[in-house]
Amino acid sequence: MSAFVYVTYIYATPQKVWDAITRPEFARKYWLHYNVSDWKKGSRWEHRKGDDSGTVMIDGTVLESDPPRKLVITWARPDHSKEPSRVTFDIAEYNPGLVCLTVTHDQLEHDPGMAASIAGGWPKVLSNLKSFLETGRSENIWLTKNKEG
Amino acid sequence: MTMTSSSFIYVAYIRAPQQKVWDALTRPEFQKIYWFGGHQESEWKKGSSWKMFMPQHGLTDSGEILESDPPNRLVIKWRNEFRPHLKEEGWSRCVIELSTENDLTRLSIAHTIEKENSQLIQAVSGGWPRVLSSLKSWLETGKALGDTRSVAEKAHA
Repeated sequence: MSAFVYVTYIYATPQKVWDAITRPEFARKYWLHYNVSDWKKGSRWEHRKGDDSGTVMIDGTVLESDPPRKLVITWARPDHSKEPSRVTFDIAEYNPGLVCLTVTHDQLEHDPGMAASIAGGWPKVLSNLKSFLETGRSENIWLTKNKEG
Repeated sequence: MTMTSSSFIYVAYIRAPQQKVWDALTRPEFQKIYWFGGHQESEWKKGSSWKMFMPQHGLTDSGEILESDPPNRLVIKWRNEFRPHLKEEGWSRCVIELSTENDLTRLSIAHTIEKENSQLIQAVSGGWPRVLSSLKSWLETGKALGDTRSVAEKAHA
């Protein structure tokens, strides 16, 4: 798989979705990790663990930034052991108060491990983002144990 | 996956009991709330016939239940009925799986057809995210999605 695409419709404004992705105080609530950058074209960004360590899990460069409509970033392992992939967030207002968010994670050809990992991760993160924006509630999505298991 | 197939894969996590998600997927009175007025008719048993209706089109899709294991797994043999170029593509297969992870239900959809660059799969790739977003909103907030077609799509409808 070289591209992962996920579309979700969220009762929110584009600005709220943009803020939820780019502002640490919101991202920590549903992503549990958070993203740090000034979100200007050419700037560095970091994806950090939400615990006290703040460990950088992913980093990259902002390729395109058009708040609150579009954000394109490279997505690299911090040790740069593989070619970076690319993530595009398209935030479109479909109806007043309803956003269509499309996340496209592509250029994964050089990193099959990352391709597998993000295919599991994005549905959790984006489901929790929708819940967070619509209900104010979110879950610890990185717990992996099944209740029965 | 062979090189000559097309597929749509989607996973959503929903804060609702698994049985409730199953019921929402299989009971017409619930479908009508979040499936933009559409509903399905089936007994949801292996070998049962399956039909989908939308208010603006009538019968849109039909097929057969290939597997049914409530509230865990449903496999539908699925063919479009109302758009000739999609009907021509023949049978697709839709696998719906539910599981419980912590306080969430994990719902996965794998809709595939043995055809390259399938227009049916292209069509359902637009439809499923709307339906599943609406389902999730309805189960979590009580409010399903309204009409999610863009202005351009409405103009062509």
